[in-house]
Amino acid sequence: MIDRRKFLGTVALGTASAAFLAACGQSSSPAQTGSAEKPVTLNYSWWGNDDRAERTRKAIALFESKNPDIKVAGNFTDFGGYWPKRATEAAGGGLPDVMQFDLSYLRDYGQRNQLLDLGTVKINTDAFDKSLLPSGQIRGKTYGIPTSTNTFAVYYDPAKLASLGIAEPDGTWNYKEFNAFLAEVGAKGNGTLFGSSDYTGVWWMFNIWLRQNNIQAFTEDGKLGFSKDDLKKWWNLTADLRGTGAIISEERVTQLLPKSPFASNSTVAEVNWDNFMAGYLSDSGAKELKLVPVPSDDPDNLGLFLKPTMLMSASAKTKYKDQAGRFIDFMVNDPEVGQIFKTSRGLPASKTQRDGTTFEGTDKLVVDYGASVEKYLKDAPEPPIVGFGTLEASFKRVASDVNYGKLTVDGAVDTWFKEAEDLIKQNA
Amino acid sequence: MTQSPTLSRRSASAPAQPRKSRRRGADARAGYTFLLPWLLGFIALTVGPMISSLYLSFTNYNLFDAPKWIGFDNYVSLFQDERFLQSVGVTMQYVVFGTPLKLAAALAIAMLLNSKRKGQGFYRSAFYAPSLIGASVSIAIVWKAMFGDSGPVDQGLSFFGINLGGWVGNPNMTMGMMILLTVWQFGAPMVIFLAGLKQIPADLYEAASMDGAGPVRKFMNITWPMLSPVIFFNLLMETIHAFQIFASAYIISNGEGGPAGSTLFYTLYLYLRGFSDFRMGYASAMAWLLVIVVGIITLIFFKTSKSWVHYSGDAK
Repeated sequence: MIDRRKFLGTVALGTASAAFLAACGQSSSPAQTGSAEKPVTLNYSWWGNDDRAERTRKAIALFESKNPDIKVAGNFTDFGGYWPKRATEAAGGGLPDVMQFDLSYLRDYGQRNQLLDLGTVKINTDAFDKSLLPSGQIRGKTYGIPTSTNTFAVYYDPAKLASLGIAEPDGTWNYKEFNAFLAEVGAKGNGTLFGSSDYTGVWWMFNIWLRQNNIQAFTEDGKLGFSKDDLKKWWNLTADLRGTGAIISEERVTQLLPKSPFASNSTVAEVNWDNFMAGYLSDSGAKELKLVPVPSDDPDNLGLFLKPTMLMSASAKTKYKDQAGRFIDFMVNDPEVGQIFKTSRGLPASKTQRDGTTFEGTDKLVVDYGASVEKYLKDAPEPPIVGFGTLEASFKRVASDVNYGKLTVDGAVDTWFKEAEDLIKQNA
Repeated sequence: MTQSPTLSRRSASAPAQPRKSRRRGADARAGYTFLLPWLLGFIALTVGPMISSLYLSFTNYNLFDAPKWIGFDNYVSLFQDERFLQSVGVTMQYVVFGTPLKLAAALAIAMLLNSKRKGQGFYRSAFYAPSLIGASVSIAIVWKAMFGDSGPVDQGLSFFGINLGGWVGNPNMTMGMMILLTVWQFGAPMVIFLAGLKQIPADLYEAASMDGAGPVRKFMNITWPMLSPVIFFNLLMETIHAFQIFASAYIISNGEGGPAGSTLFYTLYLYLRGFSDFRMGYASAMAWLLVIVVGIITLIFFKTSKSWVHYSGDAK
């Protein structure tokens, strides 16, 4: 492992010195600016699926045509593989110039001085909702600009429901009713079609449930804000559904990876962020998918909030700060970029971009959903703690062990709490 | 003049020698010069990182901040970490079952390919082929598809009335799948076995046939003892390789060691600790523990080898 780290370090050093030598060679023009004849190349890394790959390719082409002095070399993986790669690069000092970033990892990198303070470059944030920008800021420095916002929802496939003869849900439901809905799908699905994957394994759904019960997930000083009993209650919500057709078996979920069961047409419903619509449609090939609010036992408090879907960040060590700033500004503000991505990144955060985008068909569904739950939206939760990405992953893993029958709910709660407390102590 | 009376005396008695040793010195210099690129690489890319990882294993290091010295804490907490213990169990299972099976397959096929038959050259290449591509990412992906739900393996077994479903998602089947994957890559030890088999004098078998020995007897009393140094070599190498399994497990489990931790091999957990959880010190401690354990196992192999490995020229 260390070999690789050193190796990357060496490679980075080699590349850097090569670039340095190259820069020395052309003493007539400064190294930091490109021209149409000699454009500088920005490395841009992002996560996503094929759908986003195509949209990103178009956006980059557009940027390059408008900025002939900059070339953008894109590079993408899925979300899971994205972070180990960035960690390796960060250790070697070679983070890409510009990166797509997630709230879960912003502290890990920002607090450790790996990211460029975007306050030092020219990015226009006039068109942003002022309550949204702090989510990309840590200790007064801006490490990420939100591209867009999303909120949580229950997805369902109306065609599949119709084929089972089940009425479409209207989204005013409590957990008991939601479970009953999944159970009905399971009963009629006959072992080929299932309700959904176990929604209690999704961290953000748990977070929303906590908010519905007026519990904070994390305290101000970065500790857990909920108790073992809370988590026990949560994981027991689907205790009766596990092993039935209401919840797709973990064996199948694993087989279908990296696609989710919903995206591979194995389930009728799934809880997720509302910007997954485009990805789900392209992965599943379904004609139409619909969105309804998450269940809540308190009809006045759905626990929902707007979260930055993703942020644009730059490496603290980039040699092309201004160009990185221009690219980020373009990606978050340009109306044509909005037209390219539609709602696949969520609703554009910049009003300029939002107003310049026409939403039709399924994209309109996403926008309408956002509007329909607007009155329930509360402040976004505190920026997650350092190491949150690890916690989120272990939450999913431990919940999946419960579905495999390898752990009881009580055992799972103990396991997760031990890991979480260990991690919090580690990063304190 | 005072420094080397021996030298001058020797030069007096044997005038040819200094020239020879000077030439030897030049040879050595040339040798080291040619070795230099490798030596530099070895020191910079292997020895250096190993020393730094030894240091890091005693620290709390998150890749970004300077390492903090914490003594043996990493090593102590390893043994309180359930996932670590799970990874040890998974890896041991793989080594203990996978390695002997792989060697048995390699030996059996080597013996088949050793007989004189038409087109043996073709068969040898054909059987070696999987090992050429076996360690690659693409094969792990193919393997995953083959053992998935409704994959060829599932369908093939269903044809015989065995309904196991997909293996990839079933924690009870993944180990079997991983072991099959390694057994299938028997090529490297097979080639070495084949070379060993060719060294056994044919008259030993002829003499045994004359005395009326059957194939089992011949195998037990001629092939096995004559081949034992080669078997020992293969056993040692394959055991060490088995401890290092990473790429195929990483691909098949999407880098998570799932389902339910059933493919959480030691090196995979080490990787996750280091690069997903940013606990490089902990991962370094794991790496060094692995080095020590593999070292001890190698030592045990060498100690026990005296009782069953026969080298030609041995008194026994």
